[in-house]
Amino acid sequence: MKCPRCVQRIHRAAASCPHCGFTLADADACFGASDVRIRSLTDCAGILRRGDRQRVEAAMEQISRRFPQVFVAIYTGSLGEVSNIRQFGFWLLNRSAFEDVPVEKPNEAGILITLDPESKAAGMVFGYLLDPFLEESDTFDCLSRGHAYWLEERYADGILRVLRHLDAILRKRSRQARRDPEHFERKVVPPVQMGDLVRRIRSGHRPAGIETAEAKEVGR
Amino acid sequence: MKTNFATFAAIMAASALAIAFEEPPLPVWPANERTDLEASGWIPGAILLTEDPIPDDPQPEKAEPLNIELPNPEEIIDDFRQVSEVAEKFLPAYFAERPKTFLIDPQGLLSPSDYRDRLGFLNYHASDSSIDLYVYVLGGDQEIPSEVREEEMVERCFSGGRPAAIVYYYLGAPQRSVVYLSPSMTTSISAPEQRRALESSVMQAFEKTNASEQFERFLVQMSIRIYWMERKLAGESATADDSQVTIAAPARAAAVDRKSVRLLWLQDLAVKSVMPVAILLGVFLTAFGFNHWLRLRARYRFPVFDVEPRLGGAHAAGVGAVISFASATLPPASQRDQVPDYLRRA
Repeated sequence: MKCPRCVQRIHRAAASCPHCGFTLADADACFGASDVRIRSLTDCAGILRRGDRQRVEAAMEQISRRFPQVFVAIYTGSLGEVSNIRQFGFWLLNRSAFEDVPVEKPNEAGILITLDPESKAAGMVFGYLLDPFLEESDTFDCLSRGHAYWLEERYADGILRVLRHLDAILRKRSRQARRDPEHFERKVVPPVQMGDLVRRIRSGHRPAGIETAEAKEVGR
Repeated sequence: MKTNFATFAAIMAASALAIAFEEPPLPVWPANERTDLEASGWIPGAILLTEDPIPDDPQPEKAEPLNIELPNPEEIIDDFRQVSEVAEKFLPAYFAERPKTFLIDPQGLLSPSDYRDRLGFLNYHASDSSIDLYVYVLGGDQEIPSEVREEEMVERCFSGGRPAAIVYYYLGAPQRSVVYLSPSMTTSISAPEQRRALESSVMQAFEKTNASEQFERFLVQMSIRIYWMERKLAGESATADDSQVTIAAPARAAAVDRKSVRLLWLQDLAVKSVMPVAILLGVFLTAFGFNHWLRLRARYRFPVFDVEPRLGGAHAAGVGAVISFASATLPPASQRDQVPDYLRRA
């Protein structure tokens, strides 16, 4: 887990970045504090033609159908500095209300792909539902698939490749989670507090020479 | 407007075509003109309009029959007297007991390679058919001594064991060949049928001029005819009448007319394995399609864990990767390490 602003590692329950102090409030100061209503496919940059939109929407719909808990949103627009695209994605997924996404799918289950054709950068953020299952490297692999297409300004083709790879990764993670859910749960379990640790140690230790009734029974 | 013009053009074209295809009327003699011409004694083209032969056309001469003297019976008998009997020293090898191999050539009339090829074919035939084919090779000008009775030999040697067809083949003179069947088959396969099989084989042999090739063709055709005999013996409904043989023979002949027994075996194996392979392929494709259909319909779910919010974000703080596609000289591989910008600039 990394801070959207300084890209330094942060711990699981950091209320703010311990390195730069970044919070959502800082992003609100840049992009606005009010919620925004957008569609899951918002092409503010106007880089998708009608046919392209249909293809991309079909791919998004396929992921939504295959993963009933999850939805994919895509935003294209001019964002200015490359470094801002992380903060913007983080802010948008927290502040947006997607009109065409069912209410039973909250933003925690969202995967947002942000594409800025002006600064030529793309980013991917995901909600808390997928926090245990997706790594930064997974999202990087997905975006890498679209790199060659985006270089040639074939934005729709690149997005489709990204979505196809994302689909494969999600399927793989889902299978792994079904086999070994504890492995993923350990990633998000809150860190053990010191008081809890002392209590557990004390409960496990008993004074020497004192035998419980059960132990005596076993000895006999 | 365009439609009217097109209709008009089509009508005009059709009428022009109709006019073009109409034949002009034939000329008709005016009555008085014909009378005048006949009176003058000459009508132009009259020679072509009559049924009479053309006066100057030469008559074909009748061919005279050739005056060739036909051979008399004594000469024919003399001709047969030119054949010689098989040497006595070879008789035990020919007729003493049931032969160990399907090709009996103690005189070495066949070249070693021909012997090997023909024997290979007969072995192949034996492996493919329930009726063995034994071939005694004799010289084209030889004959079996009179003291040897072929029928008796066949009864003596071939009464037991697998059914067999025994052929005495005269190398270079296939028309002299004789076929016998083992006693267990003679009741089922009539003599005319045996004769037809032999005639068919001889005809096939005569399509070649070389004695070795004649022998090969003879054996192939005899093998085919034995196949039909085998079917008849097995009581199958399909009888080996001539029409069926004519239809089926080329296919089987094409199948068995190979010099290499190995190739024949492979071909036979391929024919036999077509159905199992097709079934396996069908099963595999069905399973693959079913699996693909299941995968398309599969739904994937994730277990839901409690995640503590971070950085004040109510819904998300899972910031993934960012990639730049500003330049082809900056490939994704060089962007894998997502580091702070100030470190990247340094």
